[in-house]
Amino acid sequence: MPQVKIIAKNFMDMVASLTARDLDNLYQNPFICEAILRSLPPLAKKYVLQMLYIEGSVLAKSMEEWVLADGFTKHRVAIDRLVQLRIFSEEKKKETSYRLNPTFQTNLQKHLIYGGALPREPMPSNVTVRLPTLEELEAYALGQWECFLLQLISSAQAEKPTNFSSSMMKVFQRGLLTQRDKESPRLSESGFQFLLMDTSAQLWYIIREYISNSQERGVNQADLISFLLELSFHVAGEAYNVNTLSELQKNMIKDFADLGLVKLQQGRKDSWFIPTKLATSLSISLTDSSSRKEGFVVVETNFRIYAYSTSKLHCEILRLFSRIEYQLPNLIVGAITKESLYNAFDNGIAADQIIAFLQQNAHPRVAERIPSVPENVCDQDVFEAACDYARDRNGLLWEDSKKMRLAVKAETHTHMREFLRGQS
Amino acid sequence: MASAPSKLYSDDVSLVVVLLDTNPFFWTTSSFSFSHFLSHVLAFLNAILTLNQLNQVVIIATGCNSCDYVYDSSKTANQSFGNGRMPTLCATLLQNLEEFMTKDEKLGIEEAEERITGSLLSGSLSMALCYIQRVFRSGSLHPQPRILCLQGSPDGPEQYVAIMNAIFSAQRSMVPIDSCYIGAQNSAFLQQASYITGGVHHKPQQLDGLFQYLLTIFATDLHSRSFVQLPKPVGVDFRASCFCHKNTIDMGYICSVCLSIFCTRHKKCSTCGSTFGQAQSDDASATNRKRKAPDS
Repeated sequence: MPQVKIIAKNFMDMVASLTARDLDNLYQNPFICEAILRSLPPLAKKYVLQMLYIEGSVLAKSMEEWVLADGFTKHRVAIDRLVQLRIFSEEKKKETSYRLNPTFQTNLQKHLIYGGALPREPMPSNVTVRLPTLEELEAYALGQWECFLLQLISSAQAEKPTNFSSSMMKVFQRGLLTQRDKESPRLSESGFQFLLMDTSAQLWYIIREYISNSQERGVNQADLISFLLELSFHVAGEAYNVNTLSELQKNMIKDFADLGLVKLQQGRKDSWFIPTKLATSLSISLTDSSSRKEGFVVVETNFRIYAYSTSKLHCEILRLFSRIEYQLPNLIVGAITKESLYNAFDNGIAADQIIAFLQQNAHPRVAERIPSVPENVCDQDVFEAACDYARDRNGLLWEDSKKMRLAVKAETHTHMREFLRGQS
Repeated sequence: MASAPSKLYSDDVSLVVVLLDTNPFFWTTSSFSFSHFLSHVLAFLNAILTLNQLNQVVIIATGCNSCDYVYDSSKTANQSFGNGRMPTLCATLLQNLEEFMTKDEKLGIEEAEERITGSLLSGSLSMALCYIQRVFRSGSLHPQPRILCLQGSPDGPEQYVAIMNAIFSAQRSMVPIDSCYIGAQNSAFLQQASYITGGVHHKPQQLDGLFQYLLTIFATDLHSRSFVQLPKPVGVDFRASCFCHKNTIDMGYICSVCLSIFCTRHKKCSTCGSTFGQAQSDDASATNRKRKAPDS
């Protein structure tokens, strides 16, 4: 099975790859310093805080004493990250030592002690007559996002098309769809994997594509990144005047509205944008925080799936690896079968991705229980993947899926062992 | 007494409940002024809120007659988060703190005869635990709570039982109690609280650098604690207070029924009412002795 994985959470790699000058410019804005701080691994955050009021540089050797022996790899990762983002600068004289980027340091110090102010204030409520409630806003954001996703995977199914130009849409689809000549485009392996990721990861993937494409359109990446990060510090549900934005930002905000990051409204004189939860949680999802939204899927030990959802998108996703049996107004019932699993494997979806999806989206009632997905379902998934792997290599001799035993040819044995090690 | 078992934490989101000692009897005698102390603590709290968008800070003031919630970041966050967190944090906190201090002082005047100079740590610990229980029960989100005691007043031996009960319930619900003692002598209660619940206890040597101590030690989230070097307890003061005179004692008498502690020999347990020693019928004590014999 090919190991194509979409790496979703590498937005920060992109920031790190900016030129030194762009990065230093970014750190002029205290809010960006805060957003970058939040995106760091926990240990790196701690180091920044610890160094915040140290003027000079600290020896690398003494920093190593800050962690216990078994945290050493984490220590290396944290230091590398900080150096990459130019938050730490390395000084090599006799011994290696690190010091905090002075701009970053002073901005963060100020931010901690005096707080910061955004470049724009929320509009007074007498101008904006009735703002949507937070619930309405969240429904709007999710609706907008699902609509975008549906259009992304199959343009025909979307109910109302977004404002993205077809060329922009093509850019998004580049990695996700494949098109054999004259056939209609279909999801590629990474496309399937994309659908199984959680919303924030998907959002970051799209935004990353959006940003890397912006350079072709002659927009500076650093400007875009700084506006996005700044947006995440606005208050969800408050209205902000569009006139406070630069021309470039005005263009961007329209695209963000299509993704559900903001809602645009037109008043009698002014127009304003209202950030949604999707926008304000952007800087949360940069870290590896476990997903904290309510799930909807119940998996039973008899391989049946009950999904409490009205979403067309959810149905499409479940169809990727299960047989949808019937759809009720608020419930989708499906079954994981041998055929549906082989189908999924053919499309390049790995067993652990399916299991991870089921676990991440477990209904709150079952999420409390451990394990949230029955063990036999997980095991069977992995077993079928193993069988599929062996069959692909013409090595499968015999299988007994009840007892989960299989026999393979001697020459595929070592491959098989490695495959199974990778699975667990 | 074993330390609390450690839970597995997947990320660094944290809910910190800070217990702030506002006891005027302590702060008037301390060389470190209360306003100075607050400026350190405020910057520290802001740092915690900066670290992660989901972080939450709750502050409970510990007075000498009462205790109360003075700040909850989840309640003020929605109002004017964007206008600068620090000013809002300062404004609401300082205002609530002032109201609390005047109220606390009034309560003190009414009970003037019996002047207690300790602060009501047991009360604020219980309030913190109640808050955390409420968060636990309110939803499926796991906030990874911890309690931080910023204490300066000396231990009040009269609160021994209440504090120990709070410590054990924190241990059961796996909530670590961190403690930072800024008074003169070290506090036995706080040492025990941190030791039993698996938290960190530290007594800063130089109070001028309190902010650095707070950031380095107490800003560490529960997830990172498994691999970060933190101060270890050198020796924990396990001494208990007796129930009869509230004195801290090295050696004493313990009721075999309810485990109450006394500094002098009593005929009858004042807590559970069981009678000690000779007063018991000879038959009963004889069978007792027989039953115990094989063990010893």
